[in-house]
Amino acid sequence: MPSSTLAAIPPVLRAPLVPLALAWGAGIAAGTTLAPPPRGLITAGALLLSGAALALLRGRDRIAAALVLSAIAVLGALRTHELPPPRDDVAAAPVDGPVSVEARLVEEPRRWAPDRARVLLDVEAIVADAERRPASGRVLVTIYGEAPPLGEGQRIAAELRLHPPVGFRNPGGFDYPAQLRREGIALVGSGRGDRIRPLTADAPPWPARVKRWAVARLNAELPEASAALLAGLLLGERAALPRETDDAFRRAGAYHVLAVSGFNVALVAASVFAVLTLVGASRATTAVVAAVALGGFALVVGAQSSVIRATLMGLILLAGIVLERESQLPNALGLSGLALLAWRPGDLWDPGFQLSFAATAGIVYLGTPARAALEWLRWPRGLASAVGVSAAAQGAVLPIMAAHFNQLSLIGPVANLVVVPLAGAATTVGLFALAAAALGDLVGSLGLNLAWALAVLLRLAVWLAAAVPWALVHIPAPGPLAMAAWLLAGVLAATVAARWARAVALLVSAAGAGIALWPLVAPDDGRLRVTFLDVGQGDAILVEVPDGPRLLVDGGPGGGARFDVGERVVAPFLWNRGIGRLDVIAATHADADHSGGLAAVLRGLRVGEVWENGRWGVGHEDTVAALERSGAARRVLAAGQRLRLGEATVTVLSPPGVDDAAAPLAGENDHSLVLRLDWRGIALLLTGDLTARGEERLLVGRAPLAATVLKVGHHGSRGSTGAAFVDASQPRIAVVSVGARNPFRHPAPEVLDRLAVAGACLYRTDRDGAVIVETDGVRLWVTRWASRRRDELPVAPDDQAR
Amino acid sequence: MLYSRPQISLLLLVGVALLGGLVVREWRAGFPEAAARLEAFDRDEAPTAPGPVPVASPRPSRPPPSPLTRPEPDQRPGSTARPEPVADPRPLDLNTATAEQIARLPGVGPGLARRIVEERQRRGRFDGPEGLRSVLGVGPRKLAALRDLVTATP
Repeated sequence: MPSSTLAAIPPVLRAPLVPLALAWGAGIAAGTTLAPPPRGLITAGALLLSGAALALLRGRDRIAAALVLSAIAVLGALRTHELPPPRDDVAAAPVDGPVSVEARLVEEPRRWAPDRARVLLDVEAIVADAERRPASGRVLVTIYGEAPPLGEGQRIAAELRLHPPVGFRNPGGFDYPAQLRREGIALVGSGRGDRIRPLTADAPPWPARVKRWAVARLNAELPEASAALLAGLLLGERAALPRETDDAFRRAGAYHVLAVSGFNVALVAASVFAVLTLVGASRATTAVVAAVALGGFALVVGAQSSVIRATLMGLILLAGIVLERESQLPNALGLSGLALLAWRPGDLWDPGFQLSFAATAGIVYLGTPARAALEWLRWPRGLASAVGVSAAAQGAVLPIMAAHFNQLSLIGPVANLVVVPLAGAATTVGLFALAAAALGDLVGSLGLNLAWALAVLLRLAVWLAAAVPWALVHIPAPGPLAMAAWLLAGVLAATVAARWARAVALLVSAAGAGIALWPLVAPDDGRLRVTFLDVGQGDAILVEVPDGPRLLVDGGPGGGARFDVGERVVAPFLWNRGIGRLDVIAATHADADHSGGLAAVLRGLRVGEVWENGRWGVGHEDTVAALERSGAARRVLAAGQRLRLGEATVTVLSPPGVDDAAAPLAGENDHSLVLRLDWRGIALLLTGDLTARGEERLLVGRAPLAATVLKVGHHGSRGSTGAAFVDASQPRIAVVSVGARNPFRHPAPEVLDRLAVAGACLYRTDRDGAVIVETDGVRLWVTRWASRRRDELPVAPDDQAR
Repeated sequence: MLYSRPQISLLLLVGVALLGGLVVREWRAGFPEAAARLEAFDRDEAPTAPGPVPVASPRPSRPPPSPLTRPEPDQRPGSTARPEPVADPRPLDLNTATAEQIARLPGVGPGLARRIVEERQRRGRFDGPEGLRSVLGVGPRKLAALRDLVTATP
């Protein structure tokens, strides 16, 4: 093809693999969301292909190309069709209770707390009644307590409790079961470390051994936090990173350096190149050695999609050097996308995949225009190039960061100008030091010390950037419509060079931004809304008073070695509702299932006031520290206080101000804040973990207990919600906030019976997911989020009777 | 010429890196405390500094929550397990001490002592040294320093 015609084709079309990858990806997206019947797909594919053949014969090349691409999309959709699991799959007949299995570890265990590790197992057999039955299927299991040393590839016999995965079912929540399904994981569960018996020795394959050795070497030479940071930079192993450092990297918009990506791969390749070229090796030899180094590096750090993407692209570019052919970045990007999605179609929804491809595409397509724009603004050349590339990558990942993490880093483009070079230096020095350490101790030790100094500098830079006010803002996750608008704008800007196309792309992306930010400015509907969040075993309740204040009662379980529901569930829910500021947080009591998650909420949102019972015991230092740092005003509440919350009134019923000697409070639960909220004749009674003893005191003290909506005390425990209390309360709606399969056997059947007999409509978060109660003062609507069912009931069915 | 310019630059870089590493290593060995402080500049908690670590005192400590079971309230150690003061001078009783006595504790000035007494009046009494955490000016570090020096009788 003569060069003059080549120049006339827009750049994206000169990379024929890019449209192919886009079509394939679109097919996968449609296949997973719409789940079309495979027969229809096969028919459609056959029709499209024969149409394409016909068009080709008629000489209509453009139409033929379009039809072929559509057929590729149909094939992508077919690729996502899941065959029914084999008959011996563990998920086919789930067992309630412990089950003995023999299984093989798919990957190295992930230790996320001193006594907890997560292992991915390929089940090989189920042992029941001394009979060994072959089985298959993949399960993700948390191992508690002391376990024998475990490693990739090892076979074990274990006693596990397995069940289908259940996520936290809240509006805007993350669909955990769907993610596991995409990874081919059918069941999740737990097991005790001392019930695991190794069948083979812990002898992982060499990449895992290299990684273990490298992490051990870092820890032997360097203090904990810096060793963890370097393990993240060099190997993507960030499990041991202290929370503060992790937070700072997120706030600074620099978290990407902690994931192994094209950045590390490019450094490895460039280092090999620099050294070998200077030693005088030939170009081809250098390329082959670099390719081997890249492959080895990828095997060691593991098969995350960002690593595979970067390695494939690197290998393609190196192959170009060996074959003395010019290779194109867009084509390499397209090919790696195609290969990755053909192998693991589910990766399309993986944040790592999306971030990696979006950032690279941003640099490839938007880097040059961004640099040109900055140079036109008379920026110095070097700076324009650095800022242009950084801004292009950041701009491209912005919607993805917002969609998965609700994050919009405002400091990122600036911070990365310092962070990326520092991280690059630390990574290069660290990798060379590890390579040297394998040969001799001294040089390795010197290199690691230098890497430590660089790591501390890096942490300092990140810490300074993170300390800037408004460094990070949280926004609602943009919906599919906004994402589609942005994707369209990006494709339009990259494919059509004409002026009008840029204008349209700009308009479309602005419209996308408008749609995405709508929840922040949406008008109030004048209803009182109470959301009992699905937080597992614990409480978190959001009260939204019309035209105003928002009150969060408890923040779900979290803190310490637990899964932090405050960070993963409660804060994202609030951000997705467009809530960046809570007027009040009420912490009913200090127990971890109520206040554990509050630390993360206090860190992630602005908080006006915190209402508490003033009893923070041992083990809640983290929450108290977050409380102090947040700058929220603290109020210790006692019975008899009345507080205004916009149009609503909050009355404090418990704890009593002075310890009553006649009826001393039994435990922390009886010190729970008990709050009553009144709005237009609707009463909401929130009892925390109050026990029957505390209830008795309320009854004796003739506290106003009659309620429209009752949060059933202590997750429906047997020791709460006594008959007299139910009589006095007569709730129309009773909500139990409780986790499925909790070890306390909450809620107690007799409590549920008592409430049902009293005429209450029962809802429970373990079955219904989030329970959303809305009222305009006349009617009540209750939404069960798990089934999306909405019940409507009048406030008082028996007006005359009362 | 033995080496080309790029080769000399590479060798120079390697030399600088090795020297830098050596300097950092010597500095870390010579000033371990400064290095530990630098290492922990962005941490919330007190660093586990090299040096005498306070040995666990016979304070009654709650057992760490076991992963599967949250201790039910009645299983928690009650007030019957009283801290037995073993160290001399005896720990200061937060519930009876005057502001002047409290101000004599290390790291506590008259202002903080006043705030501690105010906190005691507000909540009636302290249940233990941890209660100090809700006083403005007592962070985790200060609490760790004070924990063995104070007690709180019911």
